Amino acid sequence: MNYLFDPDNWEWLTTGGNFRFILEGFLINLEIAVVSIILALIFGLALALLRLSSVKPVSFLAGAWVDIFRNLPLIFLILYFALGIPGSWKDAWEDAMPSWAPEAFQSGLVLGALMGLVFYNSAVLAEIMRAGILSLPRGQGEAASALGMTYGQSLRYVILPQGLRRMVPATVSQLITLNKDTTLVSIIAITEVMRRGRIVTSSGFFNPIEAPILHVFIFIGFLFVIVNYALSRLSRRLELRERKITGTKLKRVGGLEDQVAADPV
Amino acid sequence: MKFRWLGVALTAGVLAFAGCGDDDEEPAGGGGGGTADSTPAATAEKFPADSTLGAIQEKGEITIGVKFDVPPFGVKNPQSGDVEGFDIEMGKAVAEKLGVEPKFIEAISDNRIPFLQDGTADLILSTMTINEERAEQIDFSDPYYIARGRILVPQDSDISGVDSLAGKKVCTALGSTYEATLKEQAPDADLRLVDSYSECLELIQNGAVDAVSTDDVILTGMIIQDDTLKLVGDPLTQEPYGAGIKKGETEVVDFVNGVFQELKDSGRWGELYEEWIGKYTGEPGEPPTINVEEAIELVKNN
Amino acid sequence: MLGSAAPSLALIDTLTEHWAEFRSGFWVTVRLIVISFAVAMVVGTLVAALRIAPNKWLQRLGGIYVEVFRNIPLLVLLFISFAGLRRGGVDIGPWVAGIASLGLYTAAYVAEALRSGVFSVGKGQIEASLSLGFSYAETLRRIVLPQAFRTVISPLGSLTIAMIKNSAIIGVSLLALPDLLKQARIVQARTFETNETFFWAAIGYLLLTGAVTLLIRNLENRFAIRR
Repeated sequence: MNYLFDPDNWEWLTTGGNFRFILEGFLINLEIAVVSIILALIFGLALALLRLSSVKPVSFLAGAWVDIFRNLPLIFLILYFALGIPGSWKDAWEDAMPSWAPEAFQSGLVLGALMGLVFYNSAVLAEIMRAGILSLPRGQGEAASALGMTYGQSLRYVILPQGLRRMVPATVSQLITLNKDTTLVSIIAITEVMRRGRIVTSSGFFNPIEAPILHVFIFIGFLFVIVNYALSRLSRRLELRERKITGTKLKRVGGLEDQVAADPV
Repeated sequence: MKFRWLGVALTAGVLAFAGCGDDDEEPAGGGGGGTADSTPAATAEKFPADSTLGAIQEKGEITIGVKFDVPPFGVKNPQSGDVEGFDIEMGKAVAEKLGVEPKFIEAISDNRIPFLQDGTADLILSTMTINEERAEQIDFSDPYYIARGRILVPQDSDISGVDSLAGKKVCTALGSTYEATLKEQAPDADLRLVDSYSECLELIQNGAVDAVSTDDVILTGMIIQDDTLKLVGDPLTQEPYGAGIKKGETEVVDFVNGVFQELKDSGRWGELYEEWIGKYTGEPGEPPTINVEEAIELVKNN
Repeated sequence: MLGSAAPSLALIDTLTEHWAEFRSGFWVTVRLIVISFAVAMVVGTLVAALRIAPNKWLQRLGGIYVEVFRNIPLLVLLFISFAGLRRGGVDIGPWVAGIASLGLYTAAYVAEALRSGVFSVGKGQIEASLSLGFSYAETLRRIVLPQAFRTVISPLGSLTIAMIKNSAIIGVSLLALPDLLKQARIVQARTFETNETFFWAAIGYLLLTGAVTLLIRNLENRFAIRR
């Protein structure tokens, strides 16, 4: 216990720019999370619509895709894409990156990380969106066609706006999980917060202050807990607001990772 | 503080190098395809635009894969963001000869070859041992350094060599040549494979493994960071390091060989050795005189 | 990459030639999952009990546990529990650290699932039972828990699947446990057959998650709540 609270062991936090170094790394994680969720929402929507298609083979294939990618470990996908994508793609990425983008994004490796994150999360979000859409009372869809709207129009003006609104809390929840998952990209040598933490702890070569692993990573964990906790409060507030406005709610299964029941309450 | 002193010494060493870089005289000879000129970028030999070297000159930079966490061969200074080490010096020499800027990226053990094959890196200078399996996938330059496989243990360990590794936990990197070597020479050892040697250092420092086995220079880098560790036993293997180049790029291979030969002949190799390695190992070093085929034979007889 | 169709013979060869590695990796993963699940259930039940305890401080304690372990990345937990503690002098091994991390992490989710399961049983039932003279403990045991059990099967199944996926992180971290994904990478580093090795690892994980999914569906059918 003494080890944990000994102020000497916390000295690294206030010296040598370590605090800033780690914080910058944390920012990189958040950036990766935001970019991933935006892309995953786009692809997820496409997948969800394919899933809901009335063309049996399409819906079956989309369903199989979603089920496979949802059930594979994310780290597996990240490693696979990182090892498997051709260098030409990495080069194209590096050329396309504008110079104002943060340094970690300049590397072509980020492409592999993003592919892994997006493939995985788009499948998860597709399932969430499908649940949101299916949770709409049938009456909505029927009323829309009674009014003479085509399938496309009813989707655009009636079903999606309402269905997608319902999944906002679940999406924020998924963002929390994504935040945590961004630490996995440290394994493919992207210098985000985990790597930077390791550099700070091992910097005996350049930096004379002892930075014990326990303390550095408790600090990093603390950063995540704060941000994610704030997000979870936001998600809860959104859900309550949703409940008040529309009088219904998507069955929220106890704040679980990744999984949302497709049956409405 | 010991580390502060080291930092000052290193900085002084780097500054000294920067200071005397221009005084080098150009020696005669060099490998085929190279040029005798070593003056700055403006007068570097220009290669035709459709050749690999020409394309690199067009880009104005050469991407070199190095280690970021293996002092004294490749290590990234977290505060300044610069990479430094013996491999980096080799890389800088090649870049300078070509008249381009070197761009150093991190290449960990298991993505060194994929990086070359898919073009992410033009050159790999990442403590990579020349062996037959790798030579099937990529091309190598002539060896620029010969390391020896050793075993690193804590000061108070009772391990004295490869024979006493039975039942002990030994750490080495995933995808390195030591996995096979250890399986052969110490079949009863309990191998722990990790992504990078900095993890091995962590594991031996906190006692989770009993020994680390890899090239002596990587191990020396660990001793620099923690002098309670020591090297034991006879050399397990001889490890000629070569620069990795994409298969089929003979022009590049010849060019790099030329650069290395110049460094050896001019005495620059010796200076760099002393500055980055000899200072810590306390052992004298000779530049390697063998070529790739001989290196492969050497490794086969390990 | 995905486009290059490996002739099916090479695909099978990869598995047969390296069967020992794949098999041992698979079983390490299974062992990890089973023991972590046990830890998660035990700890999760305790935390859930804290959360619904009549004492405000106990509730807060449970709440803090849940918030910390749900919001912290598993990889950070692994560093803290293994490297961090070892440096602090605790001689913890990679198995214990891995199982403790995965178990405690998943326990937070178990606690939440159990808690909502308990809440799904109408308040009226609890009140009625208490007014009939049952003690709080008996109410829990005879009225609440049996019904809650049926509700929690699905979320428990989901978090078990999440746990199976998370187990892959342990092998890849500096704990260096030779689980399925790690063994696949070892074979890949040796043979460079990225597609083949990862294919078989994927099959392994899908088998595990598929088995759990089937089990859950089976249990749900058997204990279906008839309203």
